[in-house]
Amino acid sequence: MSLLRRTDDHQWSQQHLSHYVEGDLGRRAHRRLGRHAQDCVDCGRGILAMRALVRMIQGLDGLQGVRAPAGIFDRVRASGGN
Amino acid sequence: METEASLVARARAGDADAFEQLAGAHADRLFAVLLRLLGDRGEAGDVAQEVMLRAWQGIGRFEGRSDFFTWLYRIAVNEANRALEKRSRRPADVPIDTEASQLPASARDEPTRQAENRELRAALDKALADLPPPYRTAIVLRDVEGLSTREAAEIAGVSEAAFKSRLHQARLKVRAVIGDETLITAGG
Repeated sequence: MSLLRRTDDHQWSQQHLSHYVEGDLGRRAHRRLGRHAQDCVDCGRGILAMRALVRMIQGLDGLQGVRAPAGIFDRVRASGGN
Repeated sequence: METEASLVARARAGDADAFEQLAGAHADRLFAVLLRLLGDRGEAGDVAQEVMLRAWQGIGRFEGRSDFFTWLYRIAVNEANRALEKRSRRPADVPIDTEASQLPASARDEPTRQAENRELRAALDKALADLPPPYRTAIVLRDVEGLSTREAAEIAGVSEAAFKSRLHQARLKVRAVIGDETLITAGG
């Protein structure tokens, strides 16, 4: 594989790590990135990091336990709504 | 228990109690989304009131082609963006209150790990807060709130393809800020 091809693959892979872990790449593109990541330490680690990041963000939850302020309908009422 | 469709019909007919019941069922989650988008409890509360007022004033135009919560969230995202725009025009920016970082870490964690997790969580909150609003919205709706791409795109007011592009770009930006080493270690 030429150096140019490897550089192309690397830059393209780095830009598509989220697509890869999300399953948003077509079959050929998915295979291309997977194959590149087997030989590229940075992209292999990039996949692990992206998976960890998505898990972490999903683990943030939607601030469960946070309650809306009591006056959330005040303006509705003031507008004559109630 | 009254169905959502029946509450919508009553609210459209001008029944404010029905509207409060309908919108009130989503109020906590809506406020949490605003808090994530705006990072400031006072501003999120203010915007939440505005969202409810606009929803009440516009309920007559809600035709049920989307879920009520999708429609309500769309108003919320628009209002949050409006607030962020206003904020950016102010001479001195309001500091982001990363309230989420003050939430207790899981009680199951060991003490040393808790400190690391708190630090990482604060870094993550900061990285999210620093994202441009469309990117932040994408992550909050899809990854934090767990909405489907279709729902999240509809709320953000863009096509699914455009939404996915924003989401992927947003994740890349956050990854660049936190760093692979930290993420892999924490993701262990």
